[in-house]
Amino acid sequence: MWRLQISLFTILFAMIFVEASVLPFIWADLRVDFFIGMIIGQIICIPFSQGFPFVILSALILQAFSGARIGLIPFAYILVFLFLDTVKNLVYFENIYTQMVLGFICYLVLTGIFLIFADTPALGGKALPLVFGAVLSGAISPAMISIVCRLQTVYDS
Amino acid sequence: MGRSNTRVLFLFIAAALILALISLGQYSSSSFGIKCIREGYLVFERVITAPVTFIGHIWEDYVFLVNAREENDQLRKDLTQMQVQCMILDELRSENTRLRTMLDFRGKHKEFTLYPASLLTQDITLVFKTAVVDKGSRSNFFINMPIINPDGVVGKVIGVSLNTSQVLLITDPNSAIPALIESTRIKGIVKGTGAESISLQYVRSSEDIHIGDKVITSGLLGIFPKGLAIGYVKDVRKDEHKIFADILVEPCVDMQRIEGIFGIGRDVAITD
Repeated sequence: MWRLQISLFTILFAMIFVEASVLPFIWADLRVDFFIGMIIGQIICIPFSQGFPFVILSALILQAFSGARIGLIPFAYILVFLFLDTVKNLVYFENIYTQMVLGFICYLVLTGIFLIFADTPALGGKALPLVFGAVLSGAISPAMISIVCRLQTVYDS
Repeated sequence: MGRSNTRVLFLFIAAALILALISLGQYSSSSFGIKCIREGYLVFERVITAPVTFIGHIWEDYVFLVNAREENDQLRKDLTQMQVQCMILDELRSENTRLRTMLDFRGKHKEFTLYPASLLTQDITLVFKTAVVDKGSRSNFFINMPIINPDGVVGKVIGVSLNTSQVLLITDPNSAIPALIESTRIKGIVKGTGAESISLQYVRSSEDIHIGDKVITSGLLGIFPKGLAIGYVKDVRKDEHKIFADILVEPCVDMQRIEGIFGIGRDVAITD
C-alpha cells in the first residue's frame, strides 16, 4: 500500500511540475488537468479506502499551487471523485473513449466550478485555451488511468 | 623542255608561293585554310586529351573525394553544435538584457529596498491568476508585500513560506488595488477580471476620462507605494443610467511573460 501511495505522489509532483511550470512556459493560458485521469484511475483500479485519502491529500497539495480560496480545490476534486464513484456502476469506465469523454467533461465542469466561486462572469477571450485544455485533458486521461492501474497491478502481485 | 627546266619552273612557283604567303602579312592567319587547320587541330587535341581529362575527372570527383562524406558529416555536426551555441548565447543575451534592466531599475529606485526573485510556477487553474516565486521569508518576503517589475505593478504576496512566496497577480479576480489616473487624479479601484485586461471601478460616469490615460497606484490602504504604474486606459463606456463608468485598463506588465520580479521592502513611505 505504501509503495503504491509513494509512487502515486511521485507522479503527482511530476504532474504538477508539467502543469504549473512547463505548460505555462509553452502557452501561458494553457492548463491541462492530469489529475482527472488519476481520479478516474483510482475509481477503476484502487479500493475506495485507499483512493479517497489519496484524492483528499493530492487536492490539498494542489491547493498550494493555486490562488483559489482555501478548500475550493479539494472541494471541487472530491466532488468530482464522489460523483464518478457514484456513477461507476452506470457508466463503463474501462472503455478508453468513455475515459476521454470523462476527462473532457470533468475539465469543463471543474473550470465552471472555479468560475462560479471566483465570481468571474466569463473567461474573457480564453475560449481557445479552455477548449485546448479540455481536449488535451481528455486525451491524457486514459494514459493516467493506465499508469494508476498498472501501478496497482504491479504492487498487488 | 628538259627535265631540269621543269624542276627550275617548280622551284620558281614554290618560291613565288612562299613569297606570296609571306607578303600576305598577319591577316592571312584568318584565311579559310588556316581556319580549317586550326579547327582540325582542335578536334585532334580533343580526341587525344579526352581520355586523359576523363581519367582526371574520375580522380578528382571520386577517388580524391572519398573522404568528403566524412568531412561533410563532421561539418554538419560542427554546424549543429554552433547552432546550439548560438541559441544558448541568444538566451544568455536576453537574460543579460533582462537582468541589466532589473539592475538599472533597482539603481533608479533607491527610495525602495527591492528584493529580486524569479518565477517558479504559475496557477494550476485557468481561472485564478497567481504565481509562486523562489524567495520567501528567509529573503525578507512577507504577506502583502508589493510585487513589481521594471514595467509596473505585478501583484502582491498572499502566502509566504521559508523559500517561496505566492503572488496574487493584478489580473486575478480577487485582486483589488487603490489607484488613480495620473493626469486628472481621479481615484478608483483596479480589479482583476481573470482576463488579460483589468478594470478600473468606482469612477463616476461624469468624470473626464480618456483612452490612453495612465493609471497609477494611489498609495491608499498602505500596501502599494504611491505612483507605481499599473496600466493605461484601454476602453471607457459610460451609461447615463449608471453611476460608475466601465473602464478597462491594459496592464503595463505583460503577465504572460513575467520572469524576474522585485518585492518592495517594508521600509517604504507608502502614502504622502
